[in-house]
Amino acid sequence: MAGERPRRPTPAEPRRADVLEALEPVTDPELDRSIVDLEYVDSVEIGDDGSHVAVRITLPTAWCSPAFAWMMAVDARDAIEALPAVETATITLGEHMHEAEINRGVNDGLRFGEAFPDADGDVAGVRAELDEKARVARQYDAVEALLEAGFAPDQIVALRKRDLEEGGDEVVVYLHERAVGVFVPADPLERYLEKACETGVVSGPDDVLFRTPEGEPIAPDEFDLVHRRGRLARVNMSTQGGVCAGLHEARQQRLEESTDD
Amino acid sequence: MYHQDGEDVFVIDGHVHLWDASEENITHQGGEEFIQCFYDYHTTFTPEERQWDLDEEYRQYGAERMVTDLFENAAVDMAIFQPTYLTDFYDEGFNTTEQNAELALEYPERFVLNGSFDPRDGEPGLEYLEELHETYDLKGVKVYTAEWRGESKGWRLDDEEAFEFLEKCVELGIENIHPHKGPTIRPLNRDAFDVKDVDDAASSFPDLNFVVEHVGLPRLDDFCWIAGQEPNVYGGLAVAAPFAQNRPGKFSEIMSELLWWLGEDRLLFGSDYALWNPDWLVETVMEAELTPEHRAEYGVEWDIETKQKVMGENAAELYDIDLEERKRQFREDEITEAFGLEDHYAGEPAAADD
Repeated sequence: MAGERPRRPTPAEPRRADVLEALEPVTDPELDRSIVDLEYVDSVEIGDDGSHVAVRITLPTAWCSPAFAWMMAVDARDAIEALPAVETATITLGEHMHEAEINRGVNDGLRFGEAFPDADGDVAGVRAELDEKARVARQYDAVEALLEAGFAPDQIVALRKRDLEEGGDEVVVYLHERAVGVFVPADPLERYLEKACETGVVSGPDDVLFRTPEGEPIAPDEFDLVHRRGRLARVNMSTQGGVCAGLHEARQQRLEESTDD
Repeated sequence: MYHQDGEDVFVIDGHVHLWDASEENITHQGGEEFIQCFYDYHTTFTPEERQWDLDEEYRQYGAERMVTDLFENAAVDMAIFQPTYLTDFYDEGFNTTEQNAELALEYPERFVLNGSFDPRDGEPGLEYLEELHETYDLKGVKVYTAEWRGESKGWRLDDEEAFEFLEKCVELGIENIHPHKGPTIRPLNRDAFDVKDVDDAASSFPDLNFVVEHVGLPRLDDFCWIAGQEPNVYGGLAVAAPFAQNRPGKFSEIMSELLWWLGEDRLLFGSDYALWNPDWLVETVMEAELTPEHRAEYGVEWDIETKQKVMGENAAELYDIDLEERKRQFREDEITEAFGLEDHYAGEPAAADD
């Protein structure tokens, strides 16, 4: 725009990078990966005074579960609206077979059951199930990190929340009534703890840290099987991630080709 | 037949369709979305130079090309039809037993024809199943729990109504139940294709075999856990197989998990034709290898004996197919003559030390 001086945002107004940063923790619930990293976010538009932000999202296929799409859209809306200076966020899901219901429902603040009257249950149940799977997959990574650091299975299954102490890039894990502390990479343990608390399997300091997929403490002789199930959950997620990534790419290509025509 | 390391591998493609997604047959937006979604899967996993054109080659390919693709261009010896009705989306249905019968009746030794049922059809549905069985002597059915039917967006295999149909299967001797439990298409929240309903059905009907198509993806974890406890649960590899093409490391990991949880006797190869064409897929899966890390970690092998089972012997076992007898028949059947396959079935390969 010739002659027009670009307006400088005031410090409180979000920039594109702030919006993307806010969206980073929003995950595809099935893959437990960020929608930003998965490149589902097509565009970010920030209104003049920064009080309104519009985001466009495209999922890998038109058939992506409406419940999953709904969760991502709602989470994206809430994450952006939590930014200072932002009053409203509009989420536009494109190229989805239920985009009309989802866009209207999310932007009008409806509940899932109101947007989809013939849905047979609430979205909360689906979310809880996927969160549980994400917890199991993250547990695998956390336990791998502990095994790597030299912990034995019976030590791992006995760990309680109070045995962990944050320490920057590493977490100190205490053994033998705090007589011994071992440094372990923080990321897998913190990611696990975050989901374990979110799903409610771990809350108080005395709670046993690691659980079976059903949420029970792990008996030492079932450690291997439970760990295998965690591995399986991890494999399932990354497999599905592979499918989604492939479909995403195929779809982008098809859409580009049809625009070129 | 495929040949590897001096061994014959009899290939039964456990999952094929003869479908019609031509524009004239589509009656609902879902029909168009469905074939587009299939096409995305097709282009995602098919090597670029082997991809088909959506409108010219993919919506509808016809019986003749199917025979050529399976038996001339690919090393497939037999194939099992798995119907997918979708009559709310397609005027004549997408891929019905009757449509598949066109080919299955023409080459009865080469094809196994499966039927289908939908418990929401009630009494007429039970009659239809009986009629299908009388006409085609069914040994199996494919069931699509996510199919739309009017207001309904799906059903469960552990519903009371579904159990009536499974009882009918026992009564008729239809032993192989193939629930599609794969990538999602059903809308709404209790997202379809959830594999958990197989658990109760499988333990309630120990005389039936449940071949979970697409190994439950994207619920491989639920599937393996259920299959680990139910000995009559099998895994159909359609959709998992093409990972061998563009994500070989992931294929190795999936196969290692499956072999660890289910073992080599309960997995069945399937191309999902025409989603993927066995002409490249059979070879790709046969040539695939498990990574040394996975072999060590899981203690499983993808060796020639395992491949022989998964590519054909396991399906033969479920469908009472005598492989030696078939090979004898195939020395001079119509397909063999048409495509010059005599060498394939010529008998024991020379005691070759190759």
